[in-house]
Amino acid sequence: MRTVFFKNPIYVKSGFTIVGPKEADGNFGDCFDVVLKDDLWCEKSYEKCESKMHRDAITGAIFKAGLKKRDIDFMLAGDLINECAPTALAARNFPTAFFGLYNACSTFTEAVLLGSVLIDGGFAKNVTCSTSSHYSSAERQYRFPLELGNQRPPTAQWTVTGAGCTVLSAEKPKLFNYQVYEDDVIAVDKNLNVDEKTLEKYKKSVDKQKKVVNTDKSNIIKRNFSKQNNDYGAKPEYYVKIVGGTVGKVVDLGIDDESNMGAAMAPAAFDTLTTFFRDTNTTPNDYDGVFSGDLGRFGKQTLEYLMDREGLKLPNWYMDCGASYYLPEQKTFQGGSGAGCVNTAFNSYILKKLQKGELSKVIVVATGALLNKDTPLQKETIPGIAHLFSIEIEKP
Amino acid sequence: MIERQEYQEYIKQNSPKSPMVRTLFAAFIVGGLICCIGEAIGDVLKVIFKTMSEKDVATWESCIMIFFGSTLTALGLYDKIGHFAGAGSIVPITGFANSIVSPAMEFNREGVFFGVCAKMFVIAGPIIVFGTVASFTVGLIGWFTTL
Repeated sequence: MRTVFFKNPIYVKSGFTIVGPKEADGNFGDCFDVVLKDDLWCEKSYEKCESKMHRDAITGAIFKAGLKKRDIDFMLAGDLINECAPTALAARNFPTAFFGLYNACSTFTEAVLLGSVLIDGGFAKNVTCSTSSHYSSAERQYRFPLELGNQRPPTAQWTVTGAGCTVLSAEKPKLFNYQVYEDDVIAVDKNLNVDEKTLEKYKKSVDKQKKVVNTDKSNIIKRNFSKQNNDYGAKPEYYVKIVGGTVGKVVDLGIDDESNMGAAMAPAAFDTLTTFFRDTNTTPNDYDGVFSGDLGRFGKQTLEYLMDREGLKLPNWYMDCGASYYLPEQKTFQGGSGAGCVNTAFNSYILKKLQKGELSKVIVVATGALLNKDTPLQKETIPGIAHLFSIEIEKP
Repeated sequence: MIERQEYQEYIKQNSPKSPMVRTLFAAFIVGGLICCIGEAIGDVLKVIFKTMSEKDVATWESCIMIFFGSTLTALGLYDKIGHFAGAGSIVPITGFANSIVSPAMEFNREGVFFGVCAKMFVIAGPIIVFGTVASFTVGLIGWFTTL
């Protein structure tokens, strides 16, 4: 059976997000932990910036959970760039066992499922699940240079610049509002597993960052944690726990247009959702939050059509994180995509709603299009995959 | 589960399409404007350098347009024009300059040899190859017909 149910409660201890400026202007703008002023963040390349975002997202999440780096047993992480380079570069800063994962945009749900399995099996106590993506580095890997004057097709999606991390734990999280400050996030750890030269580089980059921070031209434009009154300042009232999930299978219905990922991924999401509902004997209306990853506006419409045909009508509170990520006037056409999309939406918006008790039973199904730059040129079609996990809240 | 054929048909019919009227109009206006600027530069050159031959004027005109295209790319403006105009700004010679300068800027971080020099032609490469092959073929035909 592809659906797993966990015997022990697996708690979401904390979630931390770092995003770029465009994402902060979108719908979830008020929920992110750290918002960058530009998408380079004092680094020389976009890949380095992504790696730094990833590193600091994990550090921030560990901090927010009230843990130390050495308390983490396993790190599950991934991104979209060749051979998961930004993730690997970020992971060298942690004295922790590391799994590098790739499932395109559904890497986050894959990481959460695997992390839950590790905890449920008794192999780990605390696990971090993190992913990152960066618009500029993804664009240059999969598509064209940024400055090329081409037109994006109306089915195109915008890769989210963002990194997020969730700490899963066998222990209940403490219910108070964790404050994470800039120094906590960007500080250099003395116990890095890196050589002298790299350490020197890190120190320089952090110094540079601090200098910019000091001169009022902060690189971090929005620190939601300094605001006391908004949603961010509210303390969590409920425990959030992962109760189960469905592992997706690769589905390919012969879509070969690499700019229409929503159409390629919708059948995979449909397959995973129907399997989940069949295995758990539930319907979409039993959940007060149904979230899909990054199908985009057209992909969302396609999934609704497919589910309708099957007689499992999705409720009107069904939301696609990608389609809702940006405002229509930001001209992203179909909305957000990328490994950071569902991750940053979950760790900011959905997690906070769960912690406040506004949502109680939620499923998150993240979808991924499994292609690289060459497969469409070799006349291959685009397979899709979707992993699902379901969450419930528990009264303290 | 939906049939493969049926699903592809559904996607084909329901995918959002480009607004043809707006995009064609934008391409016509901007493309036409770029060509008008090129012609104007040619006319100005003819006025300033009265002795210059027609062929030299055309060469200089192209050079100046390439310069403009590259500068606008470097300033980060050409991609904004391209988002609006589409083929209107890709087809003229300024678009060709853009397709060479933009990868050169993008891959600057990988160093001069394997970054800038190697990746400079990733987009313009096919145009250069086809241009060379076409001129060779036409030259060959011309040579045979005048034999």
